[in-house]
Amino acid sequence: MIGLLVATVSFGALLYLAALGELISEKAGVLNLGVEGMMAMGAVSAFMAAHQTGNPWIGLVVGILAGALTGLLHGWFTVVLGAEQVVSGLSLTILGLGFAAYMGKNVVGRPPGAVLAPVDWGPLTDIPWAGPVLFGQAPFVYLAVLVGIATWFVLSRTRAGLALRAAGESASTADAAGHSVVGLRLCAVGIGGGLAGASGAYLTLTLTPQWAEGITAGRGWIAVALVIFGAWRPGRAAVGALLFGGLLALKTRLQTFGVDFSPILLSMLPYVSTIAVLIAISVRARNRPSPAPAALGTAYRREER
Amino acid sequence: MSQAAAVELVDIWKRFPGVVANAGANLRVERGTVHAVLGENGAGKSTLMNVLSGVYRPDEGEVRLDGTPQRFHTPADALAAGIGMVHQEFRLVPSFTVAENVVLGSAERILRRQDVEARVDEVARRFGLATEPDRPVWQLSMGERQRVEILKALWRDARILILDEPTAVLTPNEADELGEVLRHMADDGRSVIFISHKLHEVTGFCDVATVLRGGETVAASLPVAETDAATLANLMVGSTSLAGERPPYRTPGEVRLAVSGLCALDDRGLPALHDVDLEVRSGEIVGIAGVAGNGQRELAQVAAGLRGSTAGSVHLDGKDVTSAPPRRRFGLGLCYIPEDRIGVGLAPRLSVVENAVLRTYKGHRRGPFLVGSRLTAYCRDLVERFGVRTGALGDPIAGLSGGNLQRLLVGRELSSRPDVVVAAQPTRGLDVQGVKAIQDLLVAERDAGTAVLLISEDLDELLTLADRLLVMHEGRIVAAFDPMDSERSVIGEAMAGHLADEGAA
Amino acid sequence: MKRPVLVRRHRPLRGGQPLAFAVGLILALAVGAVLLMAADHEPLRVYQRMFEKSLGDQNAWSLTLNRAVPLGLAGLAVAVAGSMGLWNIGAEGQILAGAIGAAWVARIGGTWPGPMLLTGMLVGAVIGGGLLALVPAMARARIGVNEIITTLMLNEIALRLLQWLIHGPWKDPDSYNFPLTPLLPDQAHLPTLFGRAHFGVIIAGAVILVFGIAASRTAWGYELRVAGSSADTARYAGISLKRKILTVLLLSGGVAGLAGGVELSGTADRLTEGISNGFGYAGIIVAALALMRPSGVAAVALLFGAVQVGGQSIQIIGVPASVSTILQAFILFGAIGAGVFVRYSLRLVPTGVDASGEGGTAA
Repeated sequence: MIGLLVATVSFGALLYLAALGELISEKAGVLNLGVEGMMAMGAVSAFMAAHQTGNPWIGLVVGILAGALTGLLHGWFTVVLGAEQVVSGLSLTILGLGFAAYMGKNVVGRPPGAVLAPVDWGPLTDIPWAGPVLFGQAPFVYLAVLVGIATWFVLSRTRAGLALRAAGESASTADAAGHSVVGLRLCAVGIGGGLAGASGAYLTLTLTPQWAEGITAGRGWIAVALVIFGAWRPGRAAVGALLFGGLLALKTRLQTFGVDFSPILLSMLPYVSTIAVLIAISVRARNRPSPAPAALGTAYRREER
Repeated sequence: MSQAAAVELVDIWKRFPGVVANAGANLRVERGTVHAVLGENGAGKSTLMNVLSGVYRPDEGEVRLDGTPQRFHTPADALAAGIGMVHQEFRLVPSFTVAENVVLGSAERILRRQDVEARVDEVARRFGLATEPDRPVWQLSMGERQRVEILKALWRDARILILDEPTAVLTPNEADELGEVLRHMADDGRSVIFISHKLHEVTGFCDVATVLRGGETVAASLPVAETDAATLANLMVGSTSLAGERPPYRTPGEVRLAVSGLCALDDRGLPALHDVDLEVRSGEIVGIAGVAGNGQRELAQVAAGLRGSTAGSVHLDGKDVTSAPPRRRFGLGLCYIPEDRIGVGLAPRLSVVENAVLRTYKGHRRGPFLVGSRLTAYCRDLVERFGVRTGALGDPIAGLSGGNLQRLLVGRELSSRPDVVVAAQPTRGLDVQGVKAIQDLLVAERDAGTAVLLISEDLDELLTLADRLLVMHEGRIVAAFDPMDSERSVIGEAMAGHLADEGAA
Repeated sequence: MKRPVLVRRHRPLRGGQPLAFAVGLILALAVGAVLLMAADHEPLRVYQRMFEKSLGDQNAWSLTLNRAVPLGLAGLAVAVAGSMGLWNIGAEGQILAGAIGAAWVARIGGTWPGPMLLTGMLVGAVIGGGLLALVPAMARARIGVNEIITTLMLNEIALRLLQWLIHGPWKDPDSYNFPLTPLLPDQAHLPTLFGRAHFGVIIAGAVILVFGIAASRTAWGYELRVAGSSADTARYAGISLKRKILTVLLLSGGVAGLAGGVELSGTADRLTEGISNGFGYAGIIVAALALMRPSGVAAVALLFGAVQVGGQSIQIIGVPASVSTILQAFILFGAIGAGVFVRYSLRLVPTGVDASGEGGTAA
């Protein structure tokens, strides 16, 4: 049972990191359906860097950079050139998965050069229940918590966050107020890619820790779902991440609990619940605006205002 | 000690391909005054203000603030120099609070929400702008939103505030309040530039007026106290008389469009129409006057079938069409010229041909197929008859000018030989020739026996064209007038909701 | 000081899209060449082999055509929805649902005669794909739920459903515990045309042709274009948006489902997890490159089919098949980049002047 909770938190953090990246990007008005591709790029780059250098932290940094660069490709096409975000994002998924497979073909199945092991909190880890669940985790879990709090703070309490949200709600207004919509959006997409890359690095530096094609296994899509499930709020997305993380953790443990229910059907739940949440939002949105950023998915060009 | 004026625009020229928007325009605004800039559509007001606010650079001429020549490269430069502009279309983020919108362009790095809200409230109170800083903007009325826009400029300490047709979206009460706010700002030593073509507002709120015509200044800095509306009107329109020749009046025929007890909601789900009754007879133009946002838009939409009603009925030629869809009403002889040309009346990305056949494409079928040659022939005929200037008929309509778009739309609607025409703001935003062309078409239609319901914010247009004039206020028809025999001021009172006894319907 | 500004053209450059496409192809080949050289392969040799194995002879053509079938149908599915401004991102799931539908008919009708069984399977495929599109279609038409995310989520749901079936109730008892269904009965295979090319090529070509004509020549297609251009204009003209959204998304799902059925009956022969192989996602790229036009879909699908078949053929000489994936994505990115200049022209304007000024917006 403790194992389940530990796994819930660690899977939750995996999803949360990527979801926060997507949330930041969407808050600025850019839908990026390339999460899966950015995660794969982060995963393979982090693994290879750690493999080469033997230093997992270098792996993490390289993973984040790879994710950010991949994300910025989407940014370049959608934000600067004004391409369709849906098409570009999906192509990014295809490209990222293909590119990662090509890059990593020689390290498939290799043992990791280095892993990011759970942090040693000393005696705290020995506290019953809370110890292993809260203090027995890999650095990524604490990173996810920190990034979550930082995202909340920046978005709701700073000028940069205000400007970024304005770019996602009404780009012309942000522009008229003197903010660079292109700059804000590129920044958001880049950070979003970096977080997806970090999530990928978590897979290959801690969770698995190996590289194999298809290692992301659709978790990027869950991250996209989480943003909606969490109604574009970092706090609610955290709750959603724990729920979905719990489902991932439960999936491998159903049989050990002697429950006769297909784990495959169980793994449909995040997607089904996201559709339900979307429908609920739309039904409720009759007399109030939807929580989705109003300019999400639309390109902005100044002369078309 | 001749002090330099707060704003001086000296001999401004601005040319666009095919148009000279400003041809030596001058403007001198003193500190502490509310200065009206008057002119008809196309007189060059907006271009001149765009020059002042840094959107355009003038081809010739100079912008001076407090006597110092300025060179604005971007709107941000003008903003930094203390020029704030309130556009007709608000630049607000609906999901943000009032305070968030106000500080968007000039916030500190870290926002302490309550602190910011308190300070926004303080500035608002200083200028008599009642707001609730923590309310999201989407919950506010248009008047409240405008206050937020003004507050934005004040927050940045704008010394010169430009308002572009600010009362178009306001109720009369709100307009009066706006007048007080502007007075407050002028008393505070700031300068307000008030762009309008409504004379009663100018005489009501402003100290000084400058009149533009054809891109030139025809009267500079007239003290409003020493002039009157008629003088200003003559300056605006030039030698032509204000009310053009009225076409001869004829006795109308039978009732074509009858609306009774009609109630409807607006986009926000609030009541927009209350118990509206009206009849339009064959061979007459019934005008609907009113300040924008008093239910005219909804009335047109309900009549056309694009908005549902909550009570009451609509009859066409005696047939109940209250719940009939738009296409059936069209089949029964009702055509509709919507106020949003592009996006409602015309499909933006489609070609001239595709737009021309929007109402009649089903008549050009062979089996399930549309016959291309017939569509093109139909379109060519339409374009020729109504004088639409286009490029290739297969090109998107995006390349057409406003006047040609409206000719295409009105032509398409009228060529169905309708019994009833509902026209909402058919001449808004058109140049002089365009206005004339559309008005002539409506009159010709009336003379051919069609019943025309004309909704307009331009009282002069209504006085020129309408055979009967109804005034809407807060979703009701509050007065009826005979345009031949009514005083503008009395009609204006009715539009403002002040009912004169003899005018009440 | 001058700065570059993109100014929208009054009408797109004529013949610009094929040009943009060519630019994308060249860019993709260039990027691919760099990648190949980085891994010590000879790009020219690799490309030559890819070309020979995909378009070099009759047999190669037959493989490419077979591959173009699901790509073209998926692309068409996306394009049908796209022609009225809807995004069907769910083609991948609908292909799976179509394959499941066809497999289900094959299970219950294993003893039926060939033509009847094949017809039944294809109908089952269309229904399966359509059913998967039903929830997004209803949600969009009735309460305005954005279809992008719902269709996307259903991809994952359909994949789980397929996995559950092939791991559980439909698993072949003789599969040595591999997750797959039994092989189809012999009469459930689509007839062969030439080489390996199967009858699905005809089916796909016919479906694309019919939709192409319907979209460009009929009143129905015209109504779609109006609705896609402006919902308010459609309402104004009396076109029922709800019904259009519903029929278009269901049709779109059905077409994608058909791809799944054809793939099952024509090439796969049994249900496996990889039966779709990303055709649905590739279909979105195909449709985007074809600017949502059915005629373009067929051409782009052929090219992508060739790239995929070529990509498989180079594995034998030690080059990963992922090269073909990378090529496909870069064709799109290159074409997007070049496509911008089909719709916009680049001008240098002095700073501080708004490019919109050229429209002559006096007052």
